[in-house]
Amino acid sequence: MNVDRRQALQAMLGGTAGGVALLTPAEAAASPIDDRDALGMLYDATRCTGCKACVTACTAANDLVPDTVLSNGRWQMPTDLNAQTKNIIKLYEAPDSPTHSFVKRQCMHCVEPACVTGCPFGALTKRPEDGVVAWHASLCIGCRYCEIACPFEVPKFDWANFNPQVVKCELCRHRFAEGGGPACTEVCPTGAVIAGNRADLLADAKRRIAAHPGQYFEDRVYGEHEAGGTQVLYLSHVSFAALGLPTLSDESLAHYGTKVHHVLYRYLAIPLALWALMAGIIRSRFKHHEKKARVEEASTGLPPQL
Amino acid sequence: MSSDDTTTAGAPSLHPRDEMTPCPWQRGVHVWHVPIFTRAFVFFLALSIIGVGLSVVRAFGGLDFTGMNDAYAWGIWKTFNVMTLTALGSGGFAIGIAAWVFGRHELHAVMRTALMTSLVFYLAGLLALTVDVGRPWNMWHLAFPSHWNTDSSLLEVAVCMPLYAVIFLAFENLPPVFERIFVHASDNLRAVMVRTMPIIKAIFPYMLAGAYVLPAMHQSSLGALLLLAGEKLDPLWQSQMLPLLYVIQAGVAGVACVMFTLMIASLYWQRPIDTRVLGSLGRLMSQCAMAFLIIRFADLAWRGVLGRALALDGLALVFHAENLLVGLPALVMFRRDWRERPRVLFVSAIFAGIGAMLYRFVPTTIAFVPGELKFYFPTFLELLMSAGYVALTVVLYSVAVKMLAIVPGSLDQWYGAVAYARRRFRTIRVDEHGQPSRH
Ligand code: SF4
Ligand code: SF4
Ligand code: SF4
Repeated sequence: MNVDRRQALQAMLGGTAGGVALLTPAEAAASPIDDRDALGMLYDATRCTGCKACVTACTAANDLVPDTVLSNGRWQMPTDLNAQTKNIIKLYEAPDSPTHSFVKRQCMHCVEPACVTGCPFGALTKRPEDGVVAWHASLCIGCRYCEIACPFEVPKFDWANFNPQVVKCELCRHRFAEGGGPACTEVCPTGAVIAGNRADLLADAKRRIAAHPGQYFEDRVYGEHEAGGTQVLYLSHVSFAALGLPTLSDESLAHYGTKVHHVLYRYLAIPLALWALMAGIIRSRFKHHEKKARVEEASTGLPPQL
Repeated sequence: MSSDDTTTAGAPSLHPRDEMTPCPWQRGVHVWHVPIFTRAFVFFLALSIIGVGLSVVRAFGGLDFTGMNDAYAWGIWKTFNVMTLTALGSGGFAIGIAAWVFGRHELHAVMRTALMTSLVFYLAGLLALTVDVGRPWNMWHLAFPSHWNTDSSLLEVAVCMPLYAVIFLAFENLPPVFERIFVHASDNLRAVMVRTMPIIKAIFPYMLAGAYVLPAMHQSSLGALLLLAGEKLDPLWQSQMLPLLYVIQAGVAGVACVMFTLMIASLYWQRPIDTRVLGSLGRLMSQCAMAFLIIRFADLAWRGVLGRALALDGLALVFHAENLLVGLPALVMFRRDWRERPRVLFVSAIFAGIGAMLYRFVPTTIAFVPGELKFYFPTFLELLMSAGYVALTVVLYSVAVKMLAIVPGSLDQWYGAVAYARRRFRTIRVDEHGQPSRH
């Protein structure tokens, strides 16, 4: 978050308290969260058996109503993440070989989340203590910009509800107070998905790659660099694209989407300069215009029109 | 009234190239010879009532009646209702800058039309922006700058757009309203108005400058919204130039819309057509369109994706359509003699207007390709609602031009309107020139 731009805009439109901020020198941007504090998960597709225990656990831990539309009300069977589903296991089958893989999808808890950048009143925040990307109902206006912005298409809108919620995995942050962690990681029988801090998880993933050369796709961890890095990391034996994980550049969208605007709106200097310049030009033209109008009025006897 | 009809009938035969011909658009004149409630008006009124009614239903009844889904979360709401309608409403911005900053004095003749079209389109766009949000009860955060996430382009739009429409654009539209009040006003009220006039004139240049900076900000922010869409937006569109291209296309759409409105109004209400002013508008439109194309192609070349444009897929065709629709009229409007032909002006304005609207619409819809492919097509009610918003602009505009001196006309028409008003309103206190009388 760019602190000085926020202050500058507030100074312009928010009154005197901000006026002081306009004059203070630029503060450093909010410091990034240390990898050792950033909580996340590591999902290893080679260890996942597709039992979906994590899906059930997630639904229970988050008080969601299971999506049973596809099974005619018999059992939970979501087709994708949706307003009732924060976590899903999907199956990938290679077209003409027995190769297959499961993939778990939920919020990636991006290091620089696009959803947080776009959210107009900060209903989505990246918690400074653990980097969890959380949603706050009292600040959300339901604009769905987060759905447009998230490169992983995670946030889902509760279209049918009169009081629509934005539904996405919040890393079970409501369980932290009682010492709980991500519910999905607690039930996984094979340890395919584990919780931890980003530094440990990344080291663990790299150890696995080193221990099993050739087993993991491109010998790399998905989420280490993608979209500026994510706190949920992936290992896979098939290509990440096959698992539906998008191919993304290393620059975060939060950075890509704001770098020009941060220059344009810094202290509102450029808009103000433009305003002053135009006001000067228009003032002299306006004087001229008025004079001409008076001459015309004298000759035609008609009231001048502005 | 009959005497005015003869003037108008003779007007279109004015030889456009004759330098000595006095220009037919001398001042804003009320549309005085038609009642407000015509058959066409009632049709548009009904449609706009449906649109506004649906908005109210929507505000209290959820978004479920729409066809929107998680992949196309903005449907045609922000994309058509906001991006496209406010682009059409950018005439006051583009023409204002051309006239007041770049000194194209002939454009002052159509300034009132430009400002009124801008106001009505922005009002429709704002209404759409307001009812589009799914949790409107949280909108109160807008009033508290400390609650703003100033990194968000959407926040910038949400702050800047209402500020522009409700304060700056409304201010710019005050003079014709004042004129109307003044001729009916009591002596006391007149005295007050005479005293406020110098204040208005004193702040006028500063308000105008604000009225040009703010649209530049929120129209570019509308483009910047798409930056966060990242790889979901096809590389032909996804670019750091999006904000700039969005402002320029707002100019093209706005000027085209003003040309179209002027010509339709002139046809419909039998006003003479001033090809000198229209040609100047055409030139302005052409310059904006050329700037758009140059920046767009330079950016594609710079990013090395020019080759993508040669692909023979649907998106590349949409891309070419966008460019041709504004590029051809831009070329045509380059020629001075074509700029003086009403038919060519009319067709060029329509083409460029559609092209610019298309560019503003495509990035959030057609060129927006989410990974999770879902089908979206607006439901009938959504389409009806959008049609209602367009109808609303027609309704507001036609009431405004009948009440206020906005549509440009000749001096003869002015005298016709004044004579009519003096007959119609016994209490009106103006002399036969339209000058406020002393007693
Ligand atoms: S994955 Fe999407 S929703 Fe989750 S933090 Fe990243 S941008 Fe936000
Ligand atoms: S829908 Fe809510 S959470 Fe998502 S961007 Fe809009 S205000 Fe933020
Ligand atoms: S962390 Fe919690 S909310 Fe997120 S996927 Fe796991 S169980 Fe669901």
